[in-house]
Amino acid sequence: MEEDLLRLKEEAVAALAASGKDELEPFRVKYLGRKGLFTSVMRQLGQASAEDRPRLGKLANDIKQELELSFAARLEELGGGKTGGGPRLDLTLPGRTEPCGRPHPVTQVMEEVCGIFEGLGFTVAEGPDVETDFYNFEALNIPPHHPARDMHDTFYVSDALLLRTHTSPMQIRAMTEQQPPLRMIAPGKVYRCDSDITHTPMFHQVEGFLVDRKVSFADLKGVLSVFIAKMFHHDTAIRFRPSFFPFTEPSAEVDIGCVICGGKGCRVCKQTGWLEILGAGMIDPAVFAKVGYDSEQYSGFAFGLGIERIAMLKYGITDIRLYYENDLRFLSQF
Amino acid sequence: MKFTLNWLKQYIDSGLTPAALADRLTMAGLEVDAVETLCHDIDDIVVARVMSVAPHPNADKLTVCQVTAGDGDSRQVVCGAPNVRAGLVTAIALPGVTMPGGFKIKPAKLRGEKSDGMLCSAKELGIGDAHAGIIELPDDLPIGSPLAEVLSLKDIMVEVDLTPNRADCASVLGIGREVGGFVGKRMTPPVSGPLPELVGGDLPFTVEVQAGDDCPRYAARLIRGVKIGPSPWWLKRLLLAVGLRPINNVVDVTNLVMLEYGQPLHAFDFGKLAGGRIVVRKARAGERIVTLDDVERELDPETLVICDADKPAAVAGVMGGRDSQVDDATVDILLESAYFEPVGIRRAARRLNMNSDSSYRFERGVDPQGIPFALERAVRLILETAGGAVVDGGFDLCGDLPQPQELTLRVHRANDLLGMTFTAEAICALLNGIEIPAVNRDAGTVVVTVPTFRVDLDREIDLIEEIARLHGYNEIPSTLPTVPMRFPETDGARSLRKRLTTQLTGMGCSEAINYSFVTPRHFDLLGLAADDPARKVVPLLNPLSEEQSVMRSHLLPGLLENLRRNINHQQTDVRLFEIGKVFHHQDLHTQPVEVMELAVVMSGRRHPGASRLHHGEALVDIYDAKGLVDSVLADLRLAGTVCAELDTAAPPYVVAEASVRLVAAGKTVGRFGQFETAMLKRFGIKQDAFFVALDLDALAGMLAAPKVFAPLPKFPAVQWDIALVVDEGVGGGEMLAAIADGFDPLIRHAEIFDVYRGKNIESGRKSVAIAVTYRAEDRTLDDETVGGVHHRIIEMMQNRFGARLRDA
Repeated sequence: MEEDLLRLKEEAVAALAASGKDELEPFRVKYLGRKGLFTSVMRQLGQASAEDRPRLGKLANDIKQELELSFAARLEELGGGKTGGGPRLDLTLPGRTEPCGRPHPVTQVMEEVCGIFEGLGFTVAEGPDVETDFYNFEALNIPPHHPARDMHDTFYVSDALLLRTHTSPMQIRAMTEQQPPLRMIAPGKVYRCDSDITHTPMFHQVEGFLVDRKVSFADLKGVLSVFIAKMFHHDTAIRFRPSFFPFTEPSAEVDIGCVICGGKGCRVCKQTGWLEILGAGMIDPAVFAKVGYDSEQYSGFAFGLGIERIAMLKYGITDIRLYYENDLRFLSQF
Repeated sequence: MKFTLNWLKQYIDSGLTPAALADRLTMAGLEVDAVETLCHDIDDIVVARVMSVAPHPNADKLTVCQVTAGDGDSRQVVCGAPNVRAGLVTAIALPGVTMPGGFKIKPAKLRGEKSDGMLCSAKELGIGDAHAGIIELPDDLPIGSPLAEVLSLKDIMVEVDLTPNRADCASVLGIGREVGGFVGKRMTPPVSGPLPELVGGDLPFTVEVQAGDDCPRYAARLIRGVKIGPSPWWLKRLLLAVGLRPINNVVDVTNLVMLEYGQPLHAFDFGKLAGGRIVVRKARAGERIVTLDDVERELDPETLVICDADKPAAVAGVMGGRDSQVDDATVDILLESAYFEPVGIRRAARRLNMNSDSSYRFERGVDPQGIPFALERAVRLILETAGGAVVDGGFDLCGDLPQPQELTLRVHRANDLLGMTFTAEAICALLNGIEIPAVNRDAGTVVVTVPTFRVDLDREIDLIEEIARLHGYNEIPSTLPTVPMRFPETDGARSLRKRLTTQLTGMGCSEAINYSFVTPRHFDLLGLAADDPARKVVPLLNPLSEEQSVMRSHLLPGLLENLRRNINHQQTDVRLFEIGKVFHHQDLHTQPVEVMELAVVMSGRRHPGASRLHHGEALVDIYDAKGLVDSVLADLRLAGTVCAELDTAAPPYVVAEASVRLVAAGKTVGRFGQFETAMLKRFGIKQDAFFVALDLDALAGMLAAPKVFAPLPKFPAVQWDIALVVDEGVGGGEMLAAIADGFDPLIRHAEIFDVYRGKNIESGRKSVAIAVTYRAEDRTLDDETVGGVHHRIIEMMQNRFGARLRDA
């Protein structure tokens, strides 16, 4: 047994020394492989006597280790290394990737907007896209034949049903079901029959509102200022100017300093230095009356903003129609 | 609403630069949309006089004129205008001048005659439509002076985007009142002092109002002997500046006064009014009228009309009738100034699909007290521009008119709502600044008498907005509300969508968003049967186009269109998903059922965007779709099981043998499969494509399995492989399930690692190689135990699937 081992060692050493680069692998298989000569000799260990076994075992291991070291040395000498059999590494080649897709830019901005308001304790609620005239208009203080209906180019399904022109109906749905205090935002798709380079007949809006005792217009300004600072930049200029919405009074449009030109005046801001980004106001007492809230007890504010517009400003998108073509060359940019 | 700064200046001098004025208006809620310098491109055009005119020797239609332009000797100019004549004062572009269109004037020879400049028409100068001849100017203009200056063409046009509540500002005077508020001045209206009394009596005409509710005030006067002609320059100029086309002196005056006072007026040719009568009434069924736009319209009994003794002569407040219009032959004018009930006008304008500057103002509400002032102003201007004489007296029939309203404003209420600390005095001062009478009854109360021109103010809250607006929104502080701390409830369906989005993008899919409305043609492209429930869609009454005329009942067609678009733009490796609502029609008076769905389409290479070096050109197949479903469902950790079943009744757009239904608790919650090739072709797609569709509302309703820890195994597992030859019809998945689902407690896992057909396997059969992992919780397994189970597996496979062990 011991002799077998020593003879095998001698033979292997000689064979290794004689091996060229191409013979190394056959050598490894013949002597060191799982079915190689060393393995078969070592299998015979079990037949050795109990007192010899430890010594022979150690010898066999030592020889094998020595041979393995010599093999590695020879391999290196012949210019192989571990990958000696294959080509050299070329780490300038691309890695093996599984590229990710991207959420739609509208979704990304929508989530960012919702995230900011959720951080301020607003609940997110969603409602139906096909609304009733009552929730979309009447309960929001826009009776039939009111000129304010001109502000909403409405898609109708029937006399009673329409595609919501804003997500404000959620205000009514929430207030008819719950008592103040309320803090809620309603994201979703809205529809207006208008289509050109700056309008698509479907777009996304986030409507938000807060109702409690002693809520003031100053509070509305504060909350929206926080939102704008988070959404854009902490020192983005903001201005509030009077406007009209039938469901708020006082009503305001909120402008931010143009993010493109920094307020100096450019094509995007029509040289005004300002960009209109949202509409807001104090909830009109007529709306509270519709939902059975006492406007002497409670006050609140509401606001609504268009996601596509904000995404256009944030990302510099110039054509609103790109949003709905779903061209991968567009989607993969965000 | 458009006006010019010179126009405004007639009533109030703001002392502000145009930019500052525009900014103040915007910040007062009158958003300025545009500020345009007018006529800045005709600076070099000067006034000239034609001294003599001679025929052109070589051209019939041309004349050779001697013209003086105030710069020394007269010059020769060839002119083709029919109206050129000696003594005419007109406009000339001298050599070197560039015309508004960009054409540069040079000394030239026209048919052999020298021409040193060009005489211009109003159209060529961009200051009017007239192009039949050169412009005819008043005789007394200084020759050689710049045209723009002497005609006061230099002006700045301002366009305000009015909100629907500010009817009062649809007039230059209304704007002037606002300007007065922020510059601390009062405007001077053109008509003031006592007005003539219009009490009817013995007049050559009569006015009878039969529909008093719809027309609570109607005033009319008669002017005789007018001479109809073009308006004087100052009047044309104002109308052109705000985008109105000058017509004749009388019509132009009514338009000017409408813009000035916000009160639409109408001038009838009195000679064309049968019986010299005006009757204000509802139209009779079947009555017709040809309106000024030459359209014959059928009237209905809801519509208010102004009639003569026989027939309608105008649609009240909306548009006049052609048969009573003022034309060149008109001698006597009946001038109307009235108040029509806003909702009635709005309905009529909608029904007749006619929106006019007049209906715009009436439907928002004109000032009932302004009616006689506008009438007086128009009478004076007509006399001035068209001559004639006004018949003494007239009619001014008043019914139940909106009256000045007294409102009480609580100072604390205003301060609470605005977050301010106004005093009663400060509030009064703000309101008085825009001519709203307000007095403080005590420190806490202000009494306001709302003038009739402010139709938008009838509640305390309206006054509070007014105070905020006049004070300036930007002067109101910013505070944060103090509200009780509360955790916002999260919506499970929304979290599910967010999670799916994260997961699908991680799997290489990009998110698409398509319009909710689609073309009904989609269903034909999909090949749906005529009675397929998906064809019961929610229709739109007024779609923008057939392409967007029904609410979608499927997400896939939109994604297929996206797929085609991408392929056509050389993006052939596509993985897109959409999460959105589909709409199931109930009836036209019930809101449809809206279901949130997820759909994925996959086409092209398996590893889009990844290096071909590593991944090669492999294309997606049905196992990619199945794998996507498996991963998504595994990640959701649903408590219930979702089973995949081969679809026995595959939808027509899916390859029958590659259509799988996903079923949970007996209900279909989704499907996946390969799109049918012919259907893809109908969508214009020529490569294989696969899809996944899931009903997210159903999935959101399934509870997530709780996360429960299981101790890690203490003893090693062993893996034994088996290769079994079975008939092609035997499902590999069924074999796996037979092993893994409870066959023996020692089996921890089973996995197919190869399916082989070919050499050594008889045809119609396949070899399925399965690796089975065994482990016990309490000991290391020995070969004998594992072997026992292994043999039982083989026996079971033989019995159940007719399998034979493949030769080693």
